[in-house]
Amino acid sequence: MDKLSSNPLLTDARLTCLYDGSFEGLLSAVFWAFEHKEDPCDIAVETNLQYSLDQLFLPIDTDVEKAERVKAGIIRSLGYQAYKDVRCVFLSDDERKGRVILRFLQYSLKRGAGSRSDLAEPKIADFDDVLRKVNREIHYQLQFIRFSRLQNGVFFAKIHPKANVVPLIMGHFVARLNVQPFMIFDENHALTGVYDCKRWWLVAADTVSVPDATAEQDDYQALWQTFYDTIAIEERSNPTCRRNFMPKRFWGDLCEMVPQELRKSRPQTATPTACARLVGGQSRKSLRSPLN
Amino acid sequence: MELLDKLTILADAAKYDVACTSSGVNRAAVNGKLGSTTSAGICHTFSADGRCITLLKVLMSNACSYDCTYCVNRRSNDVPRATFTPRELAELTIGFYRRNYIEGLFLSSGVLRNPDYTTEQMCEAIRLLRDDYGFNGYIHAKAIPGTSEQLLTRLGVLVDRMSLNIELPSETSLRLLAPDKSGQSVLAPMRFVRDGIKENIQDKTTSIVKRARFAPAGQSTQMIVGASPESDFQILNLSASLYRTLELKRVFFSAYLPVNTDPLLPLVTKAPLLREHRLYQADWLMRFYHFDVNEIIDESNPFLDPLIDPKCNWALNHIDLFPAEINRVPYEMLLRIPGIGVKGAGRIVKARRERSLRFEDLKRLNVSTKRARYFITCNGSFAEGVLFDPASIYDNLADEARSRHCKGVLDGQLSLFEESAPVGLMSASAADSSAQRRELVPWIN
Ligand code: SF4
Repeated sequence: MDKLSSNPLLTDARLTCLYDGSFEGLLSAVFWAFEHKEDPCDIAVETNLQYSLDQLFLPIDTDVEKAERVKAGIIRSLGYQAYKDVRCVFLSDDERKGRVILRFLQYSLKRGAGSRSDLAEPKIADFDDVLRKVNREIHYQLQFIRFSRLQNGVFFAKIHPKANVVPLIMGHFVARLNVQPFMIFDENHALTGVYDCKRWWLVAADTVSVPDATAEQDDYQALWQTFYDTIAIEERSNPTCRRNFMPKRFWGDLCEMVPQELRKSRPQTATPTACARLVGGQSRKSLRSPLN
Repeated sequence: MELLDKLTILADAAKYDVACTSSGVNRAAVNGKLGSTTSAGICHTFSADGRCITLLKVLMSNACSYDCTYCVNRRSNDVPRATFTPRELAELTIGFYRRNYIEGLFLSSGVLRNPDYTTEQMCEAIRLLRDDYGFNGYIHAKAIPGTSEQLLTRLGVLVDRMSLNIELPSETSLRLLAPDKSGQSVLAPMRFVRDGIKENIQDKTTSIVKRARFAPAGQSTQMIVGASPESDFQILNLSASLYRTLELKRVFFSAYLPVNTDPLLPLVTKAPLLREHRLYQADWLMRFYHFDVNEIIDESNPFLDPLIDPKCNWALNHIDLFPAEINRVPYEMLLRIPGIGVKGAGRIVKARRERSLRFEDLKRLNVSTKRARYFITCNGSFAEGVLFDPASIYDNLADEARSRHCKGVLDGQLSLFEESAPVGLMSASAADSSAQRRELVPWIN
């Protein structure tokens, strides 16, 4: 194929590669750009397009084999950590992520492993900026996830993170909770992580229906709320400081932040057995665990 | 009594303890057990006073048989009393941990009957957690002064961190305000804990038999600031020697809050929060920035400046070492620039190997130049608008602090400083700090 940008009709066009939203799709688009020595201005997901007249859109087919070659190339020349970082940036909600990853790879694959310390280079700095935000989001979730015990014995948490972090936090909770089955449902990204005490997997679904919480759950919640209210020293009250450490967007999922008058009955959307089915492993669509 | 009521009483009684970190030990999860620890610790929520809550912080009992003047739980106070059974406490901890409310347990206690009996109860609760519930998460226990060494050992191998409150910054104050305690009853167990931890290290190097490790996350302590007349100079010298001689991991400060009225206590209406904040900043400089205590404070100015932080203060007193050229000064000097942290300094060193850095590059490195700008140059030139003159720098930094206080970031803390020259007991303080310093150093050596 001729180089697209050498086509005279396209001189003013700004080329955007489109992919299907999967990690493999993104890497396939990167592969295409390298292979054809093209320099697209963006790599975007097919569904979130903003059309404009001066842009050219080129859909790229996802090709697992090409994606694997890009992955191998990253690991070979930049190391495994760099690959994990790319993977992490991919899970961000930042709309820049496609071009941030492309620019990062264009720059660092050319310059080799040393480029990772060229922190003042804008292509590296932008990448690190998105990466830092995803890592912060991961840490927030380790802090603020709250599990409720359901009647089927599973511990259930619902979260609303700013990045698709469930795949990145399952390892922590699997290791830590170990003897306890649990589910983490990310409502924003329609993704659930499930652990059944043997292995964990991901389920993509917009909603998850789970049984009611146990009565014991209400007791523990009340105990925790009481502890939370009691432990603060009134004379030191500092709402600004609290909000800085624990941004308001998390409060909706934190039982201790439920105002006093709204406490007690917190009904859970319930259809018994649905959850048991998920935990039993007959999930609708199992995804690969992403980091290996 | 209902568990909920007990928890209310025993959390309320524990809330003045400041040490609530779960840091210092990285213990991987064990298959078949509940829990792990991460060396940086995880804060699970923040209370209305902005403090991190990482552990279930409670007392085993607040039915104390001692009578420390400054403490809510002293026996002469008429307050509701409660005591957890070991099993209640273990179950509560597990219930919270399973829900990701906490990293573990921070257990302290009033003196129930006598120190040994209290420690036995604490040991039993923790043993239940470790053995019966297979709990592998973080546990911090506060040892009770006067506990036998045998029991301290039993406690030490069950927990991650041990601490003893030194309570007050000098033995004179301790004797005055905590009549049932003595310097020795606090320091002897602190030494004992230090030696227990040291044995761990020896064990590791000679790799003898694997045994339960004694307080692998180390030892910490806490002292109340503002209940007695010691100056910041004395307090910081004391904590420096605690780090040196007792090898503590942390020294915590707790701004004195008047919970009791007693002729021996100073008359303050508000806790000296800003003073506490500055002490922590100074402590930070000693622990992470290789500052010696003498560089931070001296006898002729025995209190930290409320308007600028101790690092800025140091820099202004050593203005001949500045401006620091970002592209050239060694790492150690980067660490000394106000507003540049350990991470920032590391990133600068890394990035300047690749290219010479300009001011706009610092932003890309996520290094804030709000305070640093007065003290640095990039390729020989200052940031725009900076006047390199100590007096004007001081004014700028102080203005910035004032406006921050107005915005309520350190609510009410500055006003306290302005209104109160030290009151009551405190007025004797600064006058004779050198004599007191002499008294204080042998006390802890
Ligand atoms: S020993 Fe003193 S400080 Fe400790 S709980 Fe009893 S009265 Fe309070």
